[in-house]
Amino acid sequence: MKLIMCDRPIQVNIRDNSDIKYIDLSSLKIANCTGCFGCWTRTPGKCVMRDDATRVYPYIAASDTVLYVSRVKYGGYDSVMKRMLERAIPVQQAFIRIFKNETHHVQRAVVPKRATIVAYGDIDAEERALFEKLVARNASNMSFESHEVVFTPEAELDDCVKKIVERWNG
Amino acid sequence: MERIMIINGSPRAPKSNSKRYAELFSRYCPVETDYYNLTKRNHRQLCELMAGYSDVLFVFPLYADALPVGFLDFLKELEANPPARKPMVSILINCGFLEYSQNEIAIEMMHIFCRKNDYRVGSILELGSGEAILGTPFKYVAVRAIKRLARSVAHGEHRTIKATMPLSKRLFIWASTYYWTAFGRKFGVSKSRMQTMQIEDGRLPDLPLAGE
Repeated sequence: MKLIMCDRPIQVNIRDNSDIKYIDLSSLKIANCTGCFGCWTRTPGKCVMRDDATRVYPYIAASDTVLYVSRVKYGGYDSVMKRMLERAIPVQQAFIRIFKNETHHVQRAVVPKRATIVAYGDIDAEERALFEKLVARNASNMSFESHEVVFTPEAELDDCVKKIVERWNG
Repeated sequence: MERIMIINGSPRAPKSNSKRYAELFSRYCPVETDYYNLTKRNHRQLCELMAGYSDVLFVFPLYADALPVGFLDFLKELEANPPARKPMVSILINCGFLEYSQNEIAIEMMHIFCRKNDYRVGSILELGSGEAILGTPFKYVAVRAIKRLARSVAHGEHRTIKATMPLSKRLFIWASTYYWTAFGRKFGVSKSRMQTMQIEDGRLPDLPLAGE
Protein backbone atom coordinates (compact mmCIF):
# COMPACT_ATOMS: atom_id res chain seq x y z
CA MET A 1 0.00 0.00 0.00
CA LYS A 2 1.11 3.54 -0.76
CA LEU A 3 0.18 6.61 1.26
CA ILE A 4 0.06 10.27 0.31
CA MET A 5 -0.19 12.34 3.49
CA CYS A 6 -0.21 16.10 3.07
CA ASP A 7 -0.68 19.18 5.21
CA ARG A 8 -2.88 20.93 2.64
CA PRO A 9 -5.19 19.72 -0.13
CA ILE A 10 -3.42 18.40 -3.24
CA GLN A 11 -5.04 17.92 -6.62
CA VAL A 12 -3.97 14.38 -7.42
CA ASN A 13 -5.94 11.78 -9.34
CA ILE A 14 -5.72 8.38 -7.63
CA ARG A 15 -9.24 7.22 -8.49
CA ASP A 16 -8.06 4.27 -10.57
CA ASN A 17 -5.51 3.03 -8.07
CA SER A 18 -6.93 1.46 -4.92
CA ASP A 19 -3.39 0.76 -3.72
CA ILE A 20 -2.82 4.49 -3.11
CA LYS A 21 -4.43 6.16 -0.11
CA TYR A 22 -4.67 9.93 0.25
CA ILE A 23 -4.97 11.77 3.55
CA ASP A 24 -5.22 15.56 3.79
CA LEU A 25 -4.31 16.28 7.40
CA SER A 26 -5.61 19.85 7.18
CA SER A 27 -9.16 18.51 6.89
CA LEU A 28 -8.91 16.39 10.05
CA LYS A 29 -9.37 17.04 13.75
CA ILE A 30 -6.08 16.14 15.37
CA ALA A 31 -5.01 17.40 18.81
CA ASN A 32 -1.44 17.77 20.06
CA CYS A 33 0.17 14.74 21.70
CA THR A 34 0.04 15.30 25.46
CA GLY A 35 3.02 13.05 26.20
CA CYS A 36 0.94 10.85 28.52
CA PHE A 37 2.63 7.62 27.34
CA GLY A 38 -0.81 5.95 27.38
CA CYS A 39 -0.16 4.38 23.97
CA TRP A 40 2.92 2.68 25.41
CA THR A 41 1.83 1.82 28.95
CA ARG A 42 -1.97 1.85 29.39
CA THR A 43 -3.50 0.87 26.03
CA PRO A 44 -0.43 -0.31 24.09
CA GLY A 45 -0.69 0.41 20.36
CA LYS A 46 -3.69 2.72 20.80
CA CYS A 47 -3.75 6.43 21.55
CA VAL A 48 -6.03 7.31 24.45
CA MET A 49 -7.21 10.45 22.60
CA ARG A 50 -9.78 9.13 20.13
CA ASP A 51 -9.65 11.80 17.45
CA ASP A 52 -8.84 11.48 13.72
CA ALA A 53 -5.16 10.68 14.37
CA THR A 54 -6.20 7.16 15.41
CA ARG A 55 -7.45 6.59 11.83
CA VAL A 56 -4.21 7.88 10.31
CA TYR A 57 -1.34 6.11 12.07
CA PRO A 58 -2.53 2.60 11.11
CA TYR A 59 -2.13 3.68 7.46
CA ILE A 60 1.34 5.08 8.14
CA ALA A 61 2.32 1.75 9.70
CA ALA A 62 0.83 -0.39 6.93
CA SER A 63 2.31 1.48 3.95
CA ASP A 64 5.45 0.34 2.16
CA THR A 65 5.70 3.62 0.25
CA VAL A 66 4.89 7.03 1.68
CA LEU A 67 4.79 10.53 0.27
CA TYR A 68 4.59 13.22 2.92
CA VAL A 69 3.94 16.80 1.81
CA SER A 70 4.78 19.48 4.35
CA ARG A 71 5.53 23.14 4.66
CA VAL A 72 8.93 23.69 6.29
CA LYS A 73 9.38 25.92 9.34
CA TYR A 74 12.75 26.61 10.97
CA GLY A 75 14.20 23.65 9.06
CA GLY A 76 11.60 21.18 10.35
CA TYR A 77 8.05 20.10 9.52
CA ASP A 78 5.50 22.83 10.06
CA SER A 79 2.73 22.29 12.62
CA VAL A 80 0.13 20.27 10.68
CA MET A 81 2.52 17.49 9.66
CA LYS A 82 4.52 17.63 12.89
CA ARG A 83 1.36 17.25 14.98
CA MET A 84 0.48 14.04 13.14
CA LEU A 85 4.01 12.63 13.30
CA GLU A 86 3.98 13.13 17.08
CA ARG A 87 0.58 11.44 17.34
CA ALA A 88 1.94 8.43 15.44
CA ILE A 89 3.97 7.14 18.40
CA PRO A 90 1.48 4.31 19.15
CA VAL A 91 3.25 2.50 16.28
CA GLN A 92 6.28 2.24 18.55
CA GLN A 93 6.83 0.51 21.88
CA ALA A 94 8.20 2.22 24.97
CA PHE A 95 11.08 -0.25 24.89
CA ILE A 96 14.44 0.68 23.43
CA ARG A 97 16.67 -1.23 21.01
CA ILE A 98 20.02 -0.55 19.38
CA PHE A 99 19.54 0.41 15.75
CA LYS A 100 22.37 1.73 13.56
CA ASN A 101 24.50 1.97 16.68
CA GLU A 102 22.06 4.32 18.45
CA THR A 103 19.25 3.75 20.92
CA HIS A 104 15.77 3.92 19.35
CA HIS A 105 12.29 2.69 20.18
CA VAL A 106 11.21 -0.81 19.11
CA GLN A 107 8.64 -0.61 16.30
CA ARG A 108 5.34 -2.53 16.38
CA ALA A 109 3.93 -3.93 13.10
CA VAL A 110 5.37 -1.17 10.94
CA VAL A 111 6.14 -2.04 7.33
CA PRO A 112 9.58 -0.82 6.23
CA LYS A 113 9.00 1.94 3.76
CA ARG A 114 10.36 4.00 0.91
CA ALA A 115 9.73 7.61 1.85
CA THR A 116 9.53 10.70 -0.31
CA ILE A 117 9.14 13.97 1.53
CA VAL A 118 8.00 16.94 -0.52
CA ALA A 119 8.99 20.12 1.30
CA TYR A 120 7.61 23.50 0.34
CA GLY A 121 7.52 27.07 1.61
CA ASP A 122 10.02 29.88 1.97
CA ILE A 123 13.09 27.71 2.62
CA ASP A 124 16.64 29.06 2.71
CA ALA A 125 19.82 27.00 2.24
CA GLU A 126 20.38 26.44 5.97
CA GLU A 127 16.80 25.23 6.43
CA ARG A 128 17.10 22.91 3.43
CA ALA A 129 20.25 21.34 4.82
CA LEU A 130 18.66 20.90 8.25
CA PHE A 131 15.45 19.47 6.83
CA GLU A 132 17.46 16.85 4.95
CA LYS A 133 19.22 15.94 8.19
CA LEU A 134 15.88 15.71 9.98
CA VAL A 135 14.44 13.32 7.40
CA ALA A 136 17.60 11.20 7.59
CA ARG A 137 17.09 11.02 11.35
CA ASN A 138 13.38 10.23 10.92
CA ALA A 139 14.51 7.21 8.91
CA SER A 140 15.73 5.51 12.08
CA ASN A 141 12.55 6.24 14.06
CA MET A 142 9.96 5.89 11.29
CA SER A 143 11.17 2.76 9.49
CA PHE A 144 12.30 4.47 6.28
CA GLU A 145 14.37 1.94 4.31
CA SER A 146 15.16 4.68 1.83
CA HIS A 147 14.25 8.33 1.68
CA GLU A 148 14.30 11.24 -0.70
CA VAL A 149 13.59 14.92 -0.04
CA VAL A 150 12.17 17.05 -2.84
CA PHE A 151 11.98 20.82 -2.39
CA THR A 152 9.43 22.65 -4.47
CA PRO A 153 7.70 26.04 -4.54
CA GLU A 154 4.15 25.86 -3.18
CA ALA A 155 2.75 26.92 -6.56
CA GLU A 156 4.24 23.80 -8.17
CA LEU A 157 3.17 21.36 -5.46
CA ASP A 158 0.39 19.62 -7.41
CA ASP A 159 2.68 19.00 -10.40
CA CYS A 160 5.47 17.74 -8.17
CA VAL A 161 3.17 15.24 -6.41
CA LYS A 162 1.66 14.17 -9.73
CA LYS A 163 5.12 13.33 -11.11
CA ILE A 164 6.00 11.25 -8.05
CA VAL A 165 2.71 9.34 -8.23
CA GLU A 166 3.26 8.71 -11.97
CA ARG A 167 6.66 7.27 -11.08
CA TRP A 168 4.97 4.92 -8.57
CA ASN A 169 2.57 3.79 -11.26
CA GLY A 170 5.55 3.04 -13.53
CA MET B 1 18.54 44.20 36.38
CA GLU B 2 19.18 40.62 35.25
CA ARG B 3 16.12 38.37 35.39
CA ILE B 4 15.63 35.04 33.73
CA MET B 5 12.31 33.89 32.30
CA ILE B 6 11.95 30.10 32.21
CA ILE B 7 9.38 28.72 29.75
CA ASN B 8 8.53 25.04 29.94
CA GLY B 9 7.62 23.92 26.41
CA SER B 10 6.75 20.34 27.37
CA PRO B 11 3.26 19.21 26.30
CA ARG B 12 2.72 17.93 29.84
CA ALA B 13 4.30 20.96 31.42
CA PRO B 14 2.73 20.83 34.94
CA LYS B 15 3.87 17.24 35.51
CA SER B 16 6.85 17.03 33.19
CA ASN B 17 10.48 16.17 33.67
CA SER B 18 11.17 19.54 32.07
CA LYS B 19 9.46 21.15 35.08
CA ARG B 20 11.81 19.32 37.42
CA TYR B 21 14.80 20.45 35.35
CA ALA B 22 13.50 24.02 35.49
CA GLU B 23 13.17 23.78 39.29
CA LEU B 24 16.76 22.63 39.54
CA PHE B 25 17.85 25.49 37.30
CA SER B 26 16.06 28.02 39.56
CA ARG B 27 17.56 26.45 42.69
CA TYR B 28 21.12 26.80 41.44
CA CYS B 29 20.77 30.06 39.54
CA PRO B 30 22.28 33.07 41.35
CA VAL B 31 19.93 35.39 39.43
CA GLU B 32 16.17 35.78 39.98
CA THR B 33 14.05 33.47 37.79
CA ASP B 34 10.33 33.33 36.94
CA TYR B 35 8.81 30.07 35.72
CA TYR B 36 5.96 29.68 33.21
CA ASN B 37 4.27 26.60 31.77
CA LEU B 38 3.43 26.93 28.10
CA THR B 39 -0.31 26.35 27.64
CA LYS B 40 -2.55 26.58 24.60
CA ARG B 41 -3.87 29.95 25.73
CA ASN B 42 -0.91 31.89 27.12
CA HIS B 43 1.35 32.25 24.06
CA ARG B 44 0.53 35.92 23.48
CA GLN B 45 0.86 36.76 27.18
CA LEU B 46 4.30 35.14 27.37
CA CYS B 47 5.43 37.06 24.26
CA GLU B 48 4.51 40.31 26.00
CA LEU B 49 6.08 39.37 29.34
CA MET B 50 9.36 38.44 27.65
CA ALA B 51 10.32 42.11 27.22
CA GLY B 52 10.90 42.37 30.97
CA TYR B 53 13.68 39.79 31.03
CA SER B 54 17.38 39.84 30.17
CA ASP B 55 17.35 36.10 29.40
CA VAL B 56 14.86 33.40 28.52
CA LEU B 57 15.50 29.71 29.13
CA PHE B 58 13.40 27.35 27.03
CA VAL B 59 13.10 23.89 28.61
CA PHE B 60 11.52 21.20 26.47
CA PRO B 61 11.78 17.54 25.42
CA LEU B 62 12.66 16.17 21.99
CA TYR B 63 9.49 15.03 20.18
CA ALA B 64 9.67 13.01 16.96
CA ASP B 65 13.27 14.12 16.35
CA ALA B 66 12.47 17.84 16.63
CA LEU B 67 10.68 20.57 18.62
CA PRO B 68 7.33 19.59 20.21
CA VAL B 69 4.53 21.04 18.06
CA GLY B 70 3.03 23.13 20.88
CA PHE B 71 6.40 24.79 21.39
CA LEU B 72 6.82 25.26 17.63
CA ASP B 73 3.45 27.04 17.59
CA PHE B 74 4.67 29.28 20.41
CA LEU B 75 7.80 30.22 18.44
CA LYS B 76 5.60 31.13 15.47
CA GLU B 77 3.50 33.31 17.77
CA LEU B 78 6.69 34.90 19.12
CA GLU B 79 7.85 35.58 15.57
CA ALA B 80 4.55 37.35 14.85
CA ASN B 81 4.54 39.24 18.18
CA PRO B 82 8.13 40.00 19.16
CA PRO B 83 8.79 41.59 22.55
CA ALA B 84 9.93 45.22 22.61
CA ARG B 85 13.27 44.09 24.02
CA LYS B 86 14.64 40.71 22.97
CA PRO B 87 16.27 38.59 25.67
CA MET B 88 19.19 36.21 25.19
CA VAL B 89 17.87 32.70 24.41
CA SER B 90 19.23 29.70 26.32
CA ILE B 91 18.03 26.13 25.88
CA LEU B 92 17.67 23.02 28.03
CA ILE B 93 16.55 20.07 25.92
CA ASN B 94 16.19 16.46 26.96
CA CYS B 95 15.53 13.25 25.07
CA GLY B 96 14.78 9.75 26.31
CA PHE B 97 17.53 8.17 24.24
CA LEU B 98 20.99 7.59 25.62
CA GLU B 99 22.65 9.81 23.02
CA TYR B 100 22.33 13.52 23.76
CA SER B 101 23.38 14.02 20.14
CA GLN B 102 19.84 13.05 19.09
CA ASN B 103 18.82 16.54 20.32
CA GLU B 104 20.99 18.33 17.78
CA ILE B 105 18.39 18.83 15.05
CA ALA B 106 16.06 20.54 17.53
CA ILE B 107 18.96 22.74 18.67
CA GLU B 108 19.69 23.69 15.05
CA MET B 109 16.02 24.57 14.59
CA MET B 110 16.34 26.91 17.57
CA HIS B 111 19.42 28.50 16.00
CA ILE B 112 17.45 29.10 12.80
CA PHE B 113 14.58 30.64 14.76
CA CYS B 114 17.01 32.91 16.59
CA ARG B 115 18.85 33.92 13.42
CA LYS B 116 15.64 34.75 11.58
CA ASN B 117 14.27 36.74 14.51
CA ASP B 118 17.41 38.46 15.81
CA TYR B 119 17.75 36.72 19.14
CA ARG B 120 21.20 35.99 20.50
CA VAL B 121 21.79 32.37 21.52
CA GLY B 122 23.23 31.91 25.00
CA SER B 123 23.92 28.59 26.73
CA ILE B 124 22.65 25.18 25.73
CA LEU B 125 22.27 21.98 27.73
CA GLU B 126 21.64 18.78 25.78
CA LEU B 127 20.52 15.95 28.06
CA GLY B 128 20.30 12.32 27.04
CA SER B 129 18.42 9.61 28.98
CA GLY B 130 16.28 12.46 30.29
CA GLU B 131 13.06 10.55 30.81
CA ALA B 132 14.33 8.60 33.78
CA ILE B 133 17.60 10.12 34.90
CA LEU B 134 16.27 12.02 37.95
CA GLY B 135 14.97 8.77 39.44
CA THR B 136 18.25 6.90 39.14
CA PRO B 137 21.65 6.93 40.89
CA PHE B 138 22.76 9.07 37.93
CA LYS B 139 20.63 12.01 39.03
CA TYR B 140 23.89 13.73 39.95
CA VAL B 141 24.85 13.87 36.26
CA ALA B 142 21.76 15.94 35.42
CA VAL B 143 22.02 18.09 38.56
CA ARG B 144 25.68 18.89 37.90
CA ALA B 145 24.95 19.80 34.28
CA ILE B 146 21.98 22.00 35.21
CA LYS B 147 24.05 23.74 37.88
CA ARG B 148 26.70 24.55 35.25
CA LEU B 149 23.98 25.77 32.89
CA ALA B 150 22.45 28.03 35.56
CA ARG B 151 25.80 29.60 36.40
CA SER B 152 26.76 30.12 32.78
CA VAL B 153 23.44 31.85 31.97
CA ALA B 154 23.58 33.99 35.12
CA HIS B 155 27.18 35.08 34.52
CA GLY B 156 26.80 35.52 30.77
CA GLU B 157 29.59 33.01 30.18
CA HIS B 158 27.77 31.04 27.57
CA ARG B 159 28.61 27.48 26.68
CA THR B 160 27.16 24.23 25.38
CA ILE B 161 26.91 21.43 27.93
CA LYS B 162 26.14 17.80 27.12
CA ALA B 163 25.25 15.08 29.61
CA THR B 164 23.77 11.61 29.79
CA MET B 165 23.86 8.48 31.94
CA PRO B 166 27.38 7.01 32.02
CA LEU B 167 26.17 3.63 30.73
CA SER B 168 26.90 1.42 27.77
CA LYS B 169 24.05 1.12 25.26
CA ARG B 170 23.30 -2.41 26.41
CA LEU B 171 23.12 -1.45 30.07
CA PHE B 172 20.96 1.54 29.15
CA ILE B 173 18.53 -0.76 27.35
CA TRP B 174 18.39 -3.03 30.40
CA ALA B 175 17.75 -0.04 32.68
CA SER B 176 15.14 1.53 30.38
CA THR B 177 13.33 -1.81 30.01
CA TYR B 178 13.14 -2.02 33.81
CA TYR B 179 11.86 1.58 33.96
CA TRP B 180 9.14 1.12 31.33
CA THR B 181 8.04 -2.27 32.66
CA ALA B 182 7.53 -0.70 36.10
CA PHE B 183 5.70 2.21 34.45
CA GLY B 184 3.22 -0.19 32.78
CA ARG B 185 2.79 -2.20 35.98
CA LYS B 186 1.37 0.93 37.67
CA PHE B 187 -1.56 0.66 35.25
CA GLY B 188 -1.84 -3.12 35.55
CA VAL B 189 -0.29 -3.63 32.11
CA SER B 190 2.26 -6.41 31.76
CA LYS B 191 5.51 -6.19 29.83
CA SER B 192 4.22 -8.64 27.22
CA ARG B 193 1.10 -6.54 26.68
CA MET B 194 3.26 -3.45 26.26
CA GLN B 195 5.23 -5.37 23.66
CA THR B 196 2.20 -6.07 21.47
CA MET B 197 2.96 -5.64 17.78
CA GLN B 198 -0.68 -4.75 17.11
CA ILE B 199 -1.59 -1.18 16.21
CA GLU B 200 -5.16 -0.11 17.06
CA ASP B 201 -7.27 -3.24 16.42
CA GLY B 202 -4.83 -4.73 13.94
CA ARG B 203 -6.93 -3.78 10.92
CA LEU B 204 -7.18 -0.62 8.88
CA PRO B 205 -9.98 1.75 9.89
CA ASP B 206 -12.03 3.68 7.32
CA LEU B 207 -9.88 6.31 5.69
CA PRO B 208 -10.46 9.67 7.33
CA LEU B 209 -10.73 11.32 3.91
CA ALA B 210 -10.68 9.66 0.52
CA GLY B 211 -8.76 11.11 -2.39
CA GLU B 212 -10.64 12.57 -5.28
